[in-house]
Amino acid sequence: MNANRFDLGGGEPIITLRGIAKSYWREALEIPVLQGIDLEIPVGSFVALMGPSGSGKTTLLNLVAGIDRPTCGTLEVCGHELNDLDDDELAAWRNAHVGFIFQNYNLVPVLTAFENVELPLLLTSLGRRARRERVAEVLALVNLTDKQWNYPRQLSGGQEQRVAIARAIVTDPDILVADEPTGALDAKNAEEVLGLMGRLNADMGKTIVMVTHDPKAAHHARHQIHLEKGVLDRAVEVNR
Amino acid sequence: MRWLALVWKSLLRSRRRTLLIVGSLVLSVFTVAVLQSLLTTLDSITSNPNSGNRLAVRHKSGITQMLPRSYETFLRQQPEVETVCSLQWFGGYYQDPRNFFANFASDETTIFQTFREEFGLANLTEAQVKEYLRDGAGCIVGESLALKNGWKVGDVVPLTGTIFPINPRLTIRLIFKSSRPSDENVLHFHYKVLEEGVPRMKGLTGAFWVRVHRPEDIPRLIERVDRHFANSAYETLTETESAFNLAFVKMLGNISTIIQGITIAVVLAILIVTANTMGTAIRERGAEIAVFRAMGFSASRVLSLLLAEGVLLVGLGAALGLLLAQAAAGGVRSAMGAVMPFFADFEITSVTALLCLAGALAVGLLSTFIPAYAATRRPITEGLRSVG
Ligand SMILES: Nc1ncnc2c1ncn2[C@@H]1O[C@H](COP(=O)(O)OP(=O)(O)O)[C@@H](O)[C@H]1O
Ligand SMILES: [Mg+2]
Repeated sequence: MNANRFDLGGGEPIITLRGIAKSYWREALEIPVLQGIDLEIPVGSFVALMGPSGSGKTTLLNLVAGIDRPTCGTLEVCGHELNDLDDDELAAWRNAHVGFIFQNYNLVPVLTAFENVELPLLLTSLGRRARRERVAEVLALVNLTDKQWNYPRQLSGGQEQRVAIARAIVTDPDILVADEPTGALDAKNAEEVLGLMGRLNADMGKTIVMVTHDPKAAHHARHQIHLEKGVLDRAVEVNR
Repeated sequence: MRWLALVWKSLLRSRRRTLLIVGSLVLSVFTVAVLQSLLTTLDSITSNPNSGNRLAVRHKSGITQMLPRSYETFLRQQPEVETVCSLQWFGGYYQDPRNFFANFASDETTIFQTFREEFGLANLTEAQVKEYLRDGAGCIVGESLALKNGWKVGDVVPLTGTIFPINPRLTIRLIFKSSRPSDENVLHFHYKVLEEGVPRMKGLTGAFWVRVHRPEDIPRLIERVDRHFANSAYETLTETESAFNLAFVKMLGNISTIIQGITIAVVLAILIVTANTMGTAIRERGAEIAVFRAMGFSASRVLSLLLAEGVLLVGLGAALGLLLAQAAAGGVRSAMGAVMPFFADFEITSVTALLCLAGALAVGLLSTFIPAYAATRRPITEGLRSVG
């Protein structure tokens, strides 16, 4: 095994992928999307997953985030072997361990910024008051306290994405997964969102896996992993 | 934010669509509730709880043909019979032809005994009854009819005849209370007024109402009476009060079949409309559902939330529809109650309301479940890719 090629530095792995493959079937025809993925990502990493369109970045991210299942191979994430969890256990696991950030924010349009952030907390045992305090806390962190009663349509793209980030971290997950988080933003807003993610990584120790094909965005990560036609190509440490 | 708030806000996603569907639900539930209540009302005429021991004897050739009052002698001689009362529909009106209510010329000596439940005889004093018997130009009226016209005991009510060419002036001698409002929308006066005022009615009556001691005796009695008068100049048709009323109601056509047909059509139409709307609404939310599930909402949790939306939507429509029907029932009572006495009983019964509510909830669950279930079966990754 050529572990050296994917050395992301020391530290306990929080994400471990072994022999992961993923195929889709169109009728009897197997379409392999990922093949032979072996990867360890240490706690506290900020990894940019790069590669050409269709190379399988989103597919790999979805597997790590537990919203998709591999065709073969094992994934251990946050101390859980994901293959061992049934769908409901996996849902509970995601709520506890993973925060999602999407390219198009995916806020619920009929809920205010505050309510959007509160949403994942409805599944926890927190009471109303504790939830409110927690939401206020993360909204302050993304600097949107003054916009908390706005609806998504009353926010700019950059603000919407910051609300989405607040929603992703409100349950205090170990891992943040982001699929092209700046894909819909202009340069200035993209910088702001990436800066925020950098702080979440550096100050709060969140492990971040971010899919991007934008080299500028990838530059904010500490490591870049390149995917090529469903196979890991190389890992690069970002020099700053 | 609580769960209910989440469901409620989701419902208001597309206000126009929500309004549209609530509106069509309101109309459907209203229609079904009113029609079904109509049916219940009509049913209650043919199943008067007090009618079990009464018979109507009329001319075999139809309601408009007369029988000799002398038949009463034979009827009275039958051991099963308790009382016999001649009763003739007078069909008069008070002041205005539109101001129409049931009024009869009836044998004052037996009317109270024959219809003692309807007149609430137990609550009447002997003196009250005697007042009426004493005055040949007296009449008795039900309380709701008296209230409606502002009548009190001692008032004179001029009736204008429509079937018979007389306009009797009647003095109210007694106002009675009844347990059913429809039974109070009635006026009775002495049979003599008709017989003496209309020569062709001398010694004749439209029907005899016969009260028997025991309901079990009825079939035997019917058979004997009709056999006795067979081959006479005035052959009789004897039937139970329910059957008699049914014959009357049948004039309205086979209304029950029509109403049930309309009800089924309305329920099917609303089911299709709701299913289609909920289907579209849920399919449009493919990405959102995927996001909820990514955040950790289990498939069954999302399914419950969607079902709650459907139930809330439909429940809202049904509740409003029932309120509207309830309000309309009051209108029906006052508008139709006078024309057809039994409409004075018209109401949306709690059984009808519950049935409508249950039906609506079934529609809501059924129409939401299929698209909601399909949506929560869909892989999360697919839902996320469907983002527009
Ligand atoms: N549900 C699916 N059915 C069939 N093919 C799919 C499905 N999802 C993704 N693919 C294919 O898998 C490949 C990798 O997709 P994806 O992981 O989205 O790539 P990337 O994010 O790198 O652009 C693509 O060729 C895509 O067409
Ligand atoms: Mg992608």
